[in-house]
Amino acid sequence: MTHSLHRKGEPSDLNRDFVVLSMAAQGFNNVQSADKLREIFNIIVKYEPVNYGEVFSGPIFRSSNEEMLKNMKDNSYIHFVFDEQEKVAGFLRELKEADYAMSVVVSGVVEEVKKACEKAGLNMHTVNFSGGILGNTGRLPEASVLEITTMCGHGLISANLVKQMVLDLKKGRGDYREYAIDLAKQCQCGIFNPDRAEKILRRMVDDQ
Amino acid sequence: MYIDQEKCIGCQKCLNYCPVAAIEYSGRSKDQKAYAFINRDECVECAVCYRARVCPTDAFVQEALDWPRILRSAFSDPFNPHKGTNVPGRGTEEMKTTDITNRFPEGTIGIGLEFGRPGIGLRLKETEPVIRRLLESGIKLEPCNPLTELITDENTGQLKTDAANEKVLSAIVEFIAPLEQAEEVFDIIREAAQATETVFSLDIVGKVSADGSIPVMQEVEKAGLRVAPNGKVNVGLGRMVAK
Repeated sequence: MTHSLHRKGEPSDLNRDFVVLSMAAQGFNNVQSADKLREIFNIIVKYEPVNYGEVFSGPIFRSSNEEMLKNMKDNSYIHFVFDEQEKVAGFLRELKEADYAMSVVVSGVVEEVKKACEKAGLNMHTVNFSGGILGNTGRLPEASVLEITTMCGHGLISANLVKQMVLDLKKGRGDYREYAIDLAKQCQCGIFNPDRAEKILRRMVDDQ
Repeated sequence: MYIDQEKCIGCQKCLNYCPVAAIEYSGRSKDQKAYAFINRDECVECAVCYRARVCPTDAFVQEALDWPRILRSAFSDPFNPHKGTNVPGRGTEEMKTTDITNRFPEGTIGIGLEFGRPGIGLRLKETEPVIRRLLESGIKLEPCNPLTELITDENTGQLKTDAANEKVLSAIVEFIAPLEQAEEVFDIIREAAQATETVFSLDIVGKVSADGSIPVMQEVEKAGLRVAPNGKVNVGLGRMVAK
Protein backbone atom coordinates (compact mmCIF):
# COMPACT_ATOMS: atom_id res chain seq x y z
CA MET A 1 0.00 0.00 0.00
CA THR A 2 2.98 2.25 -0.10
CA HIS A 3 6.26 2.26 -1.90
CA SER A 4 8.33 4.13 0.71
CA LEU A 5 7.20 2.21 3.79
CA HIS A 6 9.15 -1.01 3.84
CA ARG A 7 12.74 0.20 3.59
CA LYS A 8 15.03 -2.21 5.38
CA GLY A 9 18.21 -1.32 7.23
CA GLU A 10 19.98 -0.54 10.45
CA PRO A 11 18.34 2.17 12.59
CA SER A 12 21.47 4.32 12.25
CA ASP A 13 21.03 4.25 8.46
CA LEU A 14 17.28 4.74 8.49
CA ASN A 15 17.65 7.75 10.80
CA ARG A 16 19.15 9.63 7.87
CA ASP A 17 16.74 8.50 5.19
CA PHE A 18 13.55 10.52 4.69
CA VAL A 19 11.21 10.21 1.73
CA VAL A 20 8.72 12.98 1.00
CA LEU A 21 5.67 12.77 -1.24
CA SER A 22 3.02 15.24 -2.29
CA MET A 23 -0.03 14.61 -4.42
CA ALA A 24 -3.63 15.68 -4.90
CA ALA A 25 -6.59 13.59 -3.80
CA GLN A 26 -8.36 12.53 -6.99
CA GLY A 27 -11.96 13.73 -6.94
CA PHE A 28 -11.30 16.11 -4.05
CA ASN A 29 -8.64 18.69 -4.81
CA ASN A 30 -7.07 17.47 -8.05
CA VAL A 31 -8.50 20.10 -10.40
CA GLN A 32 -5.66 22.45 -11.37
CA SER A 33 -3.50 20.92 -8.67
CA ALA A 34 -0.52 20.70 -11.06
CA ASP A 35 0.21 24.39 -10.43
CA LYS A 36 0.26 23.83 -6.68
CA LEU A 37 2.50 20.81 -7.10
CA ARG A 38 4.92 22.96 -9.11
CA GLU A 39 5.06 25.48 -6.28
CA ILE A 40 5.54 22.75 -3.68
CA PHE A 41 8.26 21.24 -5.87
CA ASN A 42 10.08 24.57 -6.05
CA ILE A 43 9.99 24.99 -2.28
CA ILE A 44 11.20 21.49 -1.40
CA VAL A 45 13.89 21.22 -4.05
CA LYS A 46 15.71 24.21 -2.49
CA TYR A 47 16.59 22.00 0.48
CA GLU A 48 19.00 19.88 -1.58
CA PRO A 49 17.45 16.42 -1.70
CA VAL A 50 19.78 13.52 -2.53
CA ASN A 51 17.27 12.31 -5.11
CA TYR A 52 13.88 13.44 -6.36
CA GLY A 53 11.44 12.78 -9.13
CA GLU A 54 8.08 13.30 -10.74
CA VAL A 55 6.29 10.11 -11.60
CA PHE A 56 5.80 10.85 -15.31
CA SER A 57 9.37 12.13 -15.74
CA GLY A 58 11.45 9.71 -13.71
CA PRO A 59 14.19 10.48 -11.20
CA ILE A 60 16.49 13.50 -11.49
CA PHE A 61 19.27 11.21 -12.71
CA ARG A 62 17.23 10.63 -15.88
CA SER A 63 15.35 13.91 -16.04
CA SER A 64 15.66 17.60 -15.16
CA ASN A 65 13.78 20.16 -13.08
CA GLU A 66 12.46 21.74 -16.27
CA GLU A 67 11.15 18.44 -17.59
CA MET A 68 9.50 17.59 -14.28
CA LEU A 69 7.79 20.96 -14.05
CA LYS A 70 6.63 20.67 -17.65
CA ASN A 71 5.28 17.13 -17.18
CA MET A 72 3.46 17.91 -13.94
CA LYS A 73 -0.20 16.84 -14.17
CA ASP A 74 -3.16 16.96 -11.81
CA ASN A 75 -2.51 13.28 -10.98
CA SER A 76 1.25 13.59 -10.64
CA TYR A 77 3.04 12.80 -7.48
CA ILE A 78 6.38 14.24 -6.58
CA HIS A 79 9.03 12.68 -4.35
CA PHE A 80 12.18 13.81 -2.61
CA VAL A 81 14.78 11.99 -0.52
CA PHE A 82 16.59 13.75 2.32
CA ASP A 83 19.39 12.78 4.65
CA GLU A 84 18.78 15.38 7.39
CA GLN A 85 15.81 15.87 9.67
CA GLU A 86 16.51 19.63 9.83
CA LYS A 87 15.93 19.96 6.10
CA VAL A 88 12.61 18.14 6.43
CA ALA A 89 11.57 20.46 9.25
CA GLY A 90 12.64 23.45 7.15
CA PHE A 91 10.45 22.82 4.15
CA LEU A 92 7.55 21.60 6.26
CA ARG A 93 7.63 24.98 8.00
CA GLU A 94 7.57 26.76 4.63
CA LEU A 95 4.75 24.56 3.31
CA LYS A 96 2.69 25.21 6.41
CA GLU A 97 3.04 28.93 5.89
CA ALA A 98 2.28 28.68 2.16
CA ASP A 99 -0.89 26.71 2.96
CA TYR A 100 -1.49 24.91 -0.34
CA ALA A 101 -3.91 22.46 1.32
CA MET A 102 -2.18 19.61 -0.49
CA SER A 103 -1.30 16.34 1.21
CA VAL A 104 2.33 15.82 2.19
CA VAL A 105 3.65 12.54 3.51
CA VAL A 106 7.04 11.94 5.09
CA SER A 107 8.47 8.44 5.46
CA GLY A 108 11.29 7.72 7.87
CA VAL A 109 11.89 6.65 11.44
CA VAL A 110 8.57 7.74 12.95
CA GLU A 111 10.14 9.39 16.00
CA GLU A 112 12.39 11.45 13.74
CA VAL A 113 9.50 12.48 11.50
CA LYS A 114 7.52 13.42 14.59
CA LYS A 115 10.36 15.70 15.73
CA ALA A 116 10.48 17.34 12.29
CA CYS A 117 6.72 17.92 12.45
CA GLU A 118 6.99 19.47 15.90
CA LYS A 119 9.73 21.84 14.74
CA ALA A 120 7.43 22.92 11.89
CA GLY A 121 4.44 23.37 14.18
CA LEU A 122 2.59 20.35 12.77
CA ASN A 123 0.98 17.33 14.37
CA MET A 124 1.13 13.91 12.74
CA HIS A 125 -2.26 13.12 11.19
CA THR A 126 -2.06 9.42 10.27
CA VAL A 127 0.73 6.86 10.40
CA ASN A 128 1.28 3.83 8.20
CA PHE A 129 3.42 1.25 9.99
CA SER A 130 5.34 -1.60 8.41
CA GLY A 131 4.37 -4.98 9.84
CA GLY A 132 7.25 -6.56 7.94
CA ILE A 133 7.45 -9.12 5.18
CA LEU A 134 5.29 -12.22 5.62
CA GLY A 135 4.65 -15.37 3.65
CA ASN A 136 7.18 -17.45 1.77
CA THR A 137 10.17 -15.39 2.93
CA GLY A 138 12.60 -18.11 1.91
CA ARG A 139 12.28 -16.70 -1.61
CA LEU A 140 13.76 -13.35 -0.57
CA PRO A 141 17.36 -12.37 -1.24
CA GLU A 142 19.74 -11.80 1.67
CA ALA A 143 19.17 -8.89 4.06
CA SER A 144 21.91 -6.64 2.68
CA VAL A 145 20.47 -6.92 -0.85
CA LEU A 146 17.03 -6.09 0.52
CA GLU A 147 18.44 -2.94 2.14
CA ILE A 148 19.12 -1.70 -1.38
CA THR A 149 16.20 -3.13 -3.34
CA THR A 150 13.54 -1.98 -0.85
CA MET A 151 14.56 1.62 -1.50
CA CYS A 152 12.39 1.28 -4.61
CA GLY A 153 9.11 0.10 -3.14
CA HIS A 154 7.68 -0.62 -6.58
CA GLY A 155 10.26 -3.39 -6.85
CA LEU A 156 12.06 -2.10 -9.92
CA ILE A 157 15.57 -2.67 -8.57
CA SER A 158 16.75 -6.13 -9.47
CA ALA A 159 18.38 -8.18 -6.71
CA ASN A 160 20.53 -9.84 -9.37
CA LEU A 161 21.81 -6.44 -10.50
CA VAL A 162 22.88 -5.60 -6.95
CA LYS A 163 24.63 -8.95 -6.58
CA GLN A 164 26.43 -8.50 -9.90
CA MET A 165 27.59 -5.03 -8.87
CA VAL A 166 29.00 -6.39 -5.62
CA LEU A 167 30.88 -9.09 -7.54
CA ASP A 168 32.25 -6.50 -9.97
CA LEU A 169 33.34 -4.15 -7.22
CA LYS A 170 35.00 -6.96 -5.35
CA LYS A 171 37.03 -7.70 -8.47
CA GLY A 172 38.03 -4.05 -8.73
CA ARG A 173 35.68 -3.36 -11.63
CA GLY A 174 33.19 -0.50 -11.66
CA ASP A 175 32.76 2.50 -9.39
CA TYR A 176 30.69 2.68 -6.21
CA ARG A 177 29.11 6.05 -6.97
CA GLU A 178 28.36 5.21 -10.59
CA TYR A 179 26.74 1.95 -9.58
CA ALA A 180 24.65 3.67 -6.90
CA ILE A 181 23.42 6.20 -9.47
CA ASP A 182 22.70 3.43 -11.97
CA LEU A 183 20.52 1.75 -9.35
CA ALA A 184 18.78 5.06 -8.63
CA LYS A 185 17.95 5.43 -12.32
CA GLN A 186 15.83 2.28 -12.25
CA CYS A 187 13.49 3.72 -9.60
CA GLN A 188 10.89 5.65 -11.56
CA CYS A 189 9.61 7.73 -8.62
CA GLY A 190 12.98 9.06 -7.48
CA ILE A 191 12.74 7.69 -3.92
CA PHE A 192 15.92 5.61 -4.10
CA ASN A 193 18.66 6.97 -1.87
CA PRO A 194 21.94 6.68 -3.81
CA ASP A 195 24.07 7.90 -0.88
CA ARG A 196 22.76 5.05 1.29
CA ALA A 197 23.18 2.59 -1.57
CA GLU A 198 26.82 3.55 -2.00
CA LYS A 199 27.49 2.93 1.69
CA ILE A 200 25.69 -0.40 1.62
CA LEU A 201 27.59 -1.52 -1.49
CA ARG A 202 30.87 -0.68 0.27
CA ARG A 203 29.80 -2.64 3.33
CA MET A 204 28.73 -5.62 1.23
CA VAL A 205 32.07 -5.73 -0.56
CA ASP A 206 34.00 -5.37 2.71
CA ASP A 207 31.94 -8.12 4.34
CA GLN A 208 32.43 -10.67 1.57
CA MET B 1 8.11 -6.35 -24.20
CA TYR B 2 10.28 -8.39 -26.49
CA ILE B 3 13.83 -8.37 -27.79
CA ASP B 4 14.38 -7.99 -31.52
CA GLN B 5 16.49 -11.06 -32.28
CA GLU B 6 17.93 -9.46 -35.40
CA LYS B 7 19.32 -6.58 -33.37
CA CYS B 8 20.43 -8.49 -30.27
CA ILE B 9 24.18 -9.19 -30.21
CA GLY B 10 24.07 -11.44 -27.14
CA CYS B 11 26.20 -9.17 -24.96
CA GLN B 12 24.12 -10.07 -21.86
CA LYS B 13 24.30 -6.56 -20.40
CA CYS B 14 20.53 -6.50 -19.92
CA LEU B 15 20.10 -9.81 -18.08
CA ASN B 16 20.54 -8.60 -14.51
CA TYR B 17 18.35 -5.52 -14.86
CA CYS B 18 15.13 -7.53 -14.89
CA PRO B 19 13.56 -7.50 -11.39
CA VAL B 20 11.98 -10.94 -11.94
CA ALA B 21 14.85 -12.54 -13.90
CA ALA B 22 12.68 -12.99 -17.00
CA ILE B 23 15.44 -12.18 -19.50
CA GLU B 24 17.17 -15.36 -20.56
CA TYR B 25 20.22 -16.13 -22.66
CA SER B 26 20.35 -18.66 -25.46
CA GLY B 27 23.94 -19.65 -24.95
CA ARG B 28 26.44 -19.95 -27.78
CA SER B 29 26.55 -22.68 -30.37
CA LYS B 30 28.21 -23.30 -33.71
CA ASP B 31 24.92 -23.15 -35.56
CA GLN B 32 23.35 -20.01 -34.21
CA LYS B 33 24.36 -16.69 -32.77
CA ALA B 34 23.86 -16.04 -29.07
CA TYR B 35 20.97 -13.82 -28.08
CA ALA B 36 18.88 -12.72 -25.13
CA PHE B 37 15.16 -13.30 -25.05
CA ILE B 38 12.29 -12.54 -22.71
CA ASN B 39 10.39 -15.34 -21.05
CA ARG B 40 6.95 -13.94 -21.83
CA ASP B 41 5.20 -15.97 -19.18
CA GLU B 42 7.45 -14.64 -16.41
CA CYS B 43 7.74 -11.04 -17.70
CA VAL B 44 5.66 -8.55 -15.69
CA GLU B 45 5.89 -5.74 -18.30
CA CYS B 46 7.47 -3.31 -15.83
CA ALA B 47 9.62 -1.84 -18.65
CA VAL B 48 12.73 -1.60 -16.48
CA CYS B 49 14.79 -3.30 -19.21
CA TYR B 50 13.54 -0.82 -21.82
CA ARG B 51 14.08 2.29 -19.70
CA ALA B 52 17.49 1.12 -18.42
CA ARG B 53 18.94 1.88 -21.86
CA VAL B 54 21.74 -0.63 -21.41
CA CYS B 55 21.17 -2.35 -24.74
CA PRO B 56 23.87 -1.15 -27.17
CA THR B 57 21.67 -1.90 -30.19
CA ASP B 58 18.27 -0.74 -28.83
CA ALA B 59 16.88 -4.23 -29.30
CA PHE B 60 14.11 -3.94 -26.70
CA VAL B 61 10.69 -3.33 -28.21
CA GLN B 62 7.80 -2.10 -26.09
CA GLU B 63 4.67 -3.23 -27.87
CA ALA B 64 1.05 -2.16 -27.30
CA LEU B 65 -0.52 -4.67 -24.93
CA ASP B 66 -3.98 -6.18 -25.20
CA TRP B 67 -6.25 -7.43 -22.43
CA PRO B 68 -5.43 -9.25 -20.19
CA ARG B 69 -1.68 -8.84 -20.66
CA ILE B 70 -2.05 -5.10 -20.18
CA LEU B 71 -2.76 -5.84 -16.51
CA ARG B 72 0.90 -6.80 -16.10
CA SER B 73 1.95 -3.31 -17.07
CA ALA B 74 -0.83 -1.66 -15.06
CA PHE B 75 0.26 -3.44 -11.87
CA SER B 76 4.03 -3.35 -12.46
CA ASP B 77 5.00 -0.14 -14.22
CA PRO B 78 4.50 2.91 -11.96
CA PHE B 79 4.48 5.12 -15.04
CA ASN B 80 0.93 3.95 -15.82
CA PRO B 81 -2.00 5.51 -13.96
CA HIS B 82 -4.75 2.98 -13.26
CA LYS B 83 -7.81 3.74 -15.36
CA GLY B 84 -10.23 3.21 -12.48
CA THR B 85 -8.48 5.41 -9.94
CA ASN B 86 -6.34 7.76 -12.11
CA VAL B 87 -3.49 7.14 -9.68
CA PRO B 88 -0.06 6.03 -10.94
CA GLY B 89 2.04 3.50 -9.01
CA ARG B 90 -0.07 0.70 -7.54
CA GLY B 91 -3.17 2.74 -8.22
CA THR B 92 -4.25 3.56 -4.69
CA GLU B 93 -3.96 6.77 -2.67
CA GLU B 94 -4.28 4.88 0.65
CA MET B 95 -3.26 7.18 3.53
CA LYS B 96 -1.35 9.64 1.38
CA THR B 97 -4.38 11.90 1.10
CA THR B 98 -6.42 10.84 4.13
CA ASP B 99 -6.03 14.31 5.61
CA ILE B 100 -8.31 15.45 2.77
CA THR B 101 -10.46 12.38 2.13
CA ASN B 102 -10.80 11.08 5.72
CA ARG B 103 -10.31 7.61 4.26
CA PHE B 104 -9.08 6.28 7.61
CA PRO B 105 -11.32 7.82 10.28
CA GLU B 106 -10.82 7.35 14.01
CA GLY B 107 -11.97 3.97 15.29
CA THR B 108 -10.74 2.12 12.23
CA ILE B 109 -7.67 0.16 11.20
CA GLY B 110 -6.34 0.31 7.66
CA ILE B 111 -4.62 -2.73 6.24
CA GLY B 112 -2.65 -3.28 3.06
CA LEU B 113 -1.32 -6.67 2.06
CA GLU B 114 1.18 -5.87 -0.64
CA PHE B 115 1.39 -9.21 -2.40
CA GLY B 116 4.57 -9.86 -4.35
CA ARG B 117 6.57 -7.19 -2.52
CA PRO B 118 9.46 -6.94 -2.23
CA GLY B 119 10.67 -8.09 -5.62
CA ILE B 120 9.10 -11.55 -5.86
CA GLY B 121 5.92 -10.89 -7.85
CA LEU B 122 2.77 -12.98 -8.04
CA ARG B 123 0.01 -14.32 -10.23
CA LEU B 124 -3.08 -12.24 -9.48
CA LYS B 125 -5.00 -15.40 -8.52
CA GLU B 126 -2.68 -15.80 -5.53
CA THR B 127 -4.66 -13.05 -3.81
CA GLU B 128 -8.00 -14.88 -4.15
CA PRO B 129 -7.82 -17.05 -0.97
CA VAL B 130 -7.23 -14.12 1.39
CA ILE B 131 -9.80 -11.98 -0.42
CA ARG B 132 -12.35 -14.78 0.00
CA ARG B 133 -11.50 -15.14 3.69
CA LEU B 134 -11.85 -11.39 4.28
CA LEU B 135 -15.19 -11.24 2.48
CA GLU B 136 -16.43 -14.18 4.56
CA SER B 137 -15.66 -12.10 7.65
CA GLY B 138 -17.78 -9.26 6.36
CA ILE B 139 -14.85 -7.03 5.49
CA LYS B 140 -15.34 -4.74 2.53
CA LEU B 141 -12.32 -4.17 0.34
CA GLU B 142 -11.30 -0.67 -0.66
CA PRO B 143 -13.30 0.13 -3.82
CA CYS B 144 -10.76 2.62 -5.19
CA ASN B 145 -8.13 -0.04 -5.70
CA PRO B 146 -7.25 -1.72 -9.02
CA LEU B 147 -7.27 -5.24 -7.56
CA THR B 148 -10.74 -4.79 -6.05
CA GLU B 149 -11.93 -3.72 -9.48
CA LEU B 150 -11.04 -7.17 -10.86
CA ILE B 151 -13.29 -9.04 -8.43
CA THR B 152 -16.31 -10.53 -10.20
CA ASP B 153 -17.98 -12.29 -7.28
CA GLU B 154 -18.34 -10.35 -4.04
CA ASN B 155 -19.05 -13.55 -2.10
CA THR B 156 -16.12 -15.68 -3.21
CA GLY B 157 -13.62 -13.00 -4.18
CA GLN B 158 -13.07 -14.62 -7.54
CA LEU B 159 -11.19 -12.42 -9.99
CA LYS B 160 -12.00 -12.07 -13.67
CA THR B 161 -11.11 -15.48 -15.06
CA ASP B 162 -8.88 -14.21 -17.84
CA ALA B 163 -7.02 -11.91 -15.44
CA ALA B 164 -6.25 -14.43 -12.72
CA ASN B 165 -3.10 -15.95 -14.21
CA GLU B 166 -1.42 -12.69 -15.14
CA LYS B 167 1.91 -12.20 -13.42
CA VAL B 168 2.60 -8.79 -11.85
CA LEU B 169 5.23 -7.24 -9.59
CA SER B 170 2.74 -6.45 -6.86
CA ALA B 171 -0.96 -6.15 -6.11
CA ILE B 172 -2.44 -4.74 -2.95
CA VAL B 173 -5.31 -6.23 -0.98
CA GLU B 174 -6.54 -3.13 0.81
CA PHE B 175 -9.31 -2.59 3.33
CA ILE B 176 -10.45 -0.65 6.33
CA ALA B 177 -12.04 -2.43 9.31
CA PRO B 178 -13.52 -1.32 12.62
CA LEU B 179 -10.86 -1.31 15.31
CA GLU B 180 -12.86 -3.92 17.25
CA GLN B 181 -12.26 -6.35 14.38
CA ALA B 182 -8.47 -5.96 14.50
CA GLU B 183 -7.83 -9.25 16.28
CA GLU B 184 -9.80 -11.23 13.69
CA VAL B 185 -8.05 -9.34 10.90
CA PHE B 186 -4.62 -10.21 12.26
CA ASP B 187 -5.64 -13.89 12.51
CA ILE B 188 -6.64 -13.85 8.83
CA ILE B 189 -3.33 -12.24 7.94
CA ARG B 190 -1.42 -14.95 9.81
CA GLU B 191 -3.38 -17.63 7.93
CA ALA B 192 -2.57 -15.92 4.63
CA ALA B 193 1.13 -15.81 5.53
CA GLN B 194 1.11 -19.57 6.13
CA ALA B 195 -0.70 -20.37 2.91
CA THR B 196 0.82 -18.13 0.26
CA GLU B 197 3.56 -19.19 -2.16
CA THR B 198 4.71 -15.61 -2.55
CA VAL B 199 5.47 -12.90 0.02
CA PHE B 200 3.55 -9.85 1.10
CA SER B 201 4.48 -6.69 2.95
CA LEU B 202 2.07 -5.73 5.69
CA ASP B 203 0.85 -2.14 6.08
CA ILE B 204 -1.01 -1.08 9.21
CA VAL B 205 -2.62 2.36 9.14
CA GLY B 206 -3.92 4.31 12.11
CA LYS B 207 -5.09 7.85 12.70
CA VAL B 208 -3.30 9.85 15.37
CA SER B 209 -5.64 10.97 18.15
CA ALA B 210 -5.80 14.51 19.46
CA ASP B 211 -3.70 13.49 22.48
CA GLY B 212 -0.98 12.14 20.18
CA SER B 213 -1.71 8.47 20.82
CA ILE B 214 -2.33 5.98 18.00
CA PRO B 215 -5.08 3.55 19.10
CA VAL B 216 -4.23 1.08 16.32
CA MET B 217 -0.90 0.43 18.00
CA GLN B 218 -2.63 -0.93 21.09
CA GLU B 219 -4.27 -3.57 18.89
CA VAL B 220 -0.95 -4.37 17.24
CA GLU B 221 0.67 -4.91 20.62
CA LYS B 222 -2.27 -7.00 21.85
CA ALA B 223 -1.83 -9.25 18.82
CA GLY B 224 1.86 -9.69 19.58
CA LEU B 225 2.93 -8.09 16.32
CA ARG B 226 5.97 -5.91 15.90
CA VAL B 227 6.27 -2.97 13.57
CA ALA B 228 9.42 -1.42 12.13
CA PRO B 229 10.72 1.87 13.58
CA ASN B 230 10.34 3.50 10.20
CA GLY B 231 6.90 4.29 8.86
CA LYS B 232 5.01 6.71 6.72
CA VAL B 233 3.46 9.83 8.19
CA ASN B 234 0.77 12.04 6.73
CA VAL B 235 1.71 15.37 8.28
CA GLY B 236 -1.77 16.86 8.02
CA LEU B 237 -1.11 19.77 5.67
CA GLY B 238 -4.11 18.83 3.53
CA ARG B 239 -6.39 19.09 6.53
CA MET B 240 -5.51 22.70 7.10
CA VAL B 241 -7.98 23.96 4.51
CA ALA B 242 -11.51 22.60 4.86
CA LYS B 243 -13.04 20.60 1.98
